[in-house]
Amino acid sequence: MTRLVRAEFAKLGTTRFIYGLAAGMAVFAVLAVVAVGTAAGTQGNPSLSADSLPMFVAGPVALVSGAALLLGILGVAGEFRHQTISQTFLVTPDRGRVVAAKLVAYPLAGIALALTTLAVTAAVGAGWLAAKGITPSLLDARLGRVVGVALLGAGLCGLVGVGVGALVRNQVAALVGTLVWVLVVEGLLMGLVNAPSLGRWLPSAAAAAAITSPGGAHLSRLAGTLVFAGYGLALALAGTRLMVRRDIT
Amino acid sequence: MAVITIQGLTKRFGDVLAVDDLSFEADQGTVVGFLGPNGAGKTTTLRMLLGLVTPTSGTARIDGRSYRALDAPVRHVGALLEASSFHPGRSARNHLRVAATAAGLPLARADAVLDQVGLADAARRRVGGFSLGMRQRLGLATALLGDPQVLILDEPANGLDPEGVHWLRGFLRQLADQGRTVLVSSHVLAEVAQTVDQVVIIASGRLVTQSTLAALTARTDQLVRVRTPQAEALRALLAAQGIQADPDGADQLLAVDTTTETVGKAAATAGIVIYEMTAERSNLEDVFLQLTSQQGAGS
Repeated sequence: MTRLVRAEFAKLGTTRFIYGLAAGMAVFAVLAVVAVGTAAGTQGNPSLSADSLPMFVAGPVALVSGAALLLGILGVAGEFRHQTISQTFLVTPDRGRVVAAKLVAYPLAGIALALTTLAVTAAVGAGWLAAKGITPSLLDARLGRVVGVALLGAGLCGLVGVGVGALVRNQVAALVGTLVWVLVVEGLLMGLVNAPSLGRWLPSAAAAAAITSPGGAHLSRLAGTLVFAGYGLALALAGTRLMVRRDIT
Repeated sequence: MAVITIQGLTKRFGDVLAVDDLSFEADQGTVVGFLGPNGAGKTTTLRMLLGLVTPTSGTARIDGRSYRALDAPVRHVGALLEASSFHPGRSARNHLRVAATAAGLPLARADAVLDQVGLADAARRRVGGFSLGMRQRLGLATALLGDPQVLILDEPANGLDPEGVHWLRGFLRQLADQGRTVLVSSHVLAEVAQTVDQVVIIASGRLVTQSTLAALTARTDQLVRVRTPQAEALRALLAAQGIQADPDGADQLLAVDTTTETVGKAAATAGIVIYEMTAERSNLEDVFLQLTSQQGAGS
């Protein structure tokens, strides 16, 4: 199993995609710091202080979760897109083990992507504060919480991405389907059931509870985490069941 | 001893019967040519043998076990599938190292097999820029990664230039001389005729024949080419005697499986004028075409 997970990392590390994605995230991180930094102290935004670093670091959290989701989806669907799945299944005919290795590898890859992005954000943010003559406090409990939640979110999204990719397999359909689900279907379902007590169990609502923790009608962070991870595992299980029987032509 | 055993193998895709009750064997240390026109079911058969496609019925076994039941499949069986199944953005070397990692093989095997197929110079180039011939070589390198005793190669000569085909023949011979069993598919008999010990010919998913190459050569026909101004009259006359003769140009006939004596006597009895008559022999390719087209017409 370890060698299959290592093989997944080798696949990820030997094409340019992950480096491009990390670079894109870093660029966004810098822009987010600039946006937050220039807006601070204007129009009712709090002024910069020694405690501002968590605010900077929180900037790219949602986007990095999305990137981790993308990573997971492409980690499975990309193999079908490029037909490398034939070779993968020749080496490991037990298809369930292949999906299991991806379920381990892609959450870790998502966490690594989140770590590098947050590190860039923190460095640029600290630099911005230093330029304003403010020494940021790094031993801030809020900072630790923002980073922890970001890593949790990225890991969960990587897991769910693998589940979506395993079930849908077609790269374009998986990506478009995910967007349509998040932007349209869940909203419709929410309106249809018209009961927050039910709607909060839907995937994006559970993800929001786990990552942004909006409170209100949402689940608690722990419940959101478990529910969202459950969706990922259920999708992966269903996808694996189909994949084991499906012909690779 | 049979290393590869296909028994009653059948695959139905919806309404299409891609492989129909196919049975054949490949013995240890032999090169078996798996031949048939495009769409005959070769790729489907090989993918069933490799556990990628599930048979509708029947079995495909390697050393008595299904591919999925092998302990270390890559060390046991090497496979070349179609040349498109590489990530275009990954280098040849990294493609092999990924497979080696998953199979638990030393990473140094990647460089060893690249050397073996003559791709060492292109090792660090991305596969997206490879020619079809280079992809085929990389596919062969992938098949050899685990140093397997059984090789299953789907159309390895596709996209190779004449020099490449020549290289491939020597390469396959060398693998067989090392005691390996090779099952190699092709839609062109000539590509493999100089290399194979046995041929398995299929058409429309069904077995046409399994025989040694020598037995197949013995089936080449005696042909008689006749130049006559009364081609149609002679054709009808021969047909009445059960001899097939096909027009070949305005005043020529090609009579199949007969002798110049027979044609000459027949022409004399009917008073047909003959300008010229030569005995010819059909080649292997004709036999192949004849065998596969008969099967195709019957389905």
